[in-house]
Amino acid sequence: MNQAKIDHSTMLDAKIEAILASEEELIPSSGFVASVMERVQEEAVAPPPIPFPWKRAIPGTLLTAGVFGWGAVELLRHGLPALSSPALPLPHLPAALVVPVEQAGWLALALGVTLLSWLLSRRLAGRGGLL
Amino acid sequence: MTTFHPSVAQELDQADVALVLAGDVSAFEGIVRRWQGPLVNMAWRYSRDRSRAEEMAQEAFIRAWRGLAHWRREGCFSTWLFALAANVYRSELKRFPTQTLPLDAAHEPSGPASQHSELAVKLSSEAVRRAVLALPMRYREPVVLFYFHEMDVAAAAATMGLPEGTLKARLSRARTLLRQRFPHLEEEHANLEFSSQVEGKEAAR
Repeated sequence: MNQAKIDHSTMLDAKIEAILASEEELIPSSGFVASVMERVQEEAVAPPPIPFPWKRAIPGTLLTAGVFGWGAVELLRHGLPALSSPALPLPHLPAALVVPVEQAGWLALALGVTLLSWLLSRRLAGRGGLL
Repeated sequence: MTTFHPSVAQELDQADVALVLAGDVSAFEGIVRRWQGPLVNMAWRYSRDRSRAEEMAQEAFIRAWRGLAHWRREGCFSTWLFALAANVYRSELKRFPTQTLPLDAAHEPSGPASQHSELAVKLSSEAVRRAVLALPMRYREPVVLFYFHEMDVAAAAATMGLPEGTLKARLSRARTLLRQRFPHLEEEHANLEFSSQVEGKEAAR
């Protein structure tokens, strides 16, 4: 019974194989080479894309990285002790809120600097607009 | 279509690539002429759409033109070109998938009235080919490339950038899926062979 099943599978595989192997050959249309070469010629005469001005963007990138790094350090310095204190007594609650507000300010500043450096780098790369 | 011995084609490709990289744009035409047939046929097997096959092959040639400098000379040019074309076709089909039936709907079109006709066999053969397109991409592509490369596992694996063992495993799974969809294919083809034998004998009388 099992042998018959295996034989059937083998025969079926052979049939499927024969069908898939006997694919008709498609001949490209006569204008195919010409149309490819036309596009290649267009590409060849087109000016090369302007590379991203990494040299000019490096100061901005470093500045952004610095701001983020500094922000992270500050967050660890002020944020972690506040988090680790088990339970704040109710009278201290408004004081504890001051730290996150300060951090939010720094975060907003960091985001602003990032946005400015991104816009500046896009302007230097010769692209206007936001996208 | 002119076919070249692989070593001759390799030498011609190397010479043309050198000329293109030296600034002779027209030398790329030699590459297009040599490989247009294989690339269009490969695209046809991926899409089963004639007009789209040429568009996809054209895109593959343009990508090859742009990336010609990235071809490392120690490898075979055709291997690099096929791998690049496979990437292009894969992403093209991801962007605009072909109209295919789900695999569950791709049953063999068999029936008592049509079982003996040549047309029925043609239909079932076409159904098998269409069913390949309905396979999940991870099984479809090994099947397409294996038969495109005339059942050369190494060539198909090189085009996909997969180890041969992985390709064989995926081929095996794809065959199982196809076998489940077409359990009576063997009988249908056997019937045709039998009826053509009978017709042959009758004609001989």
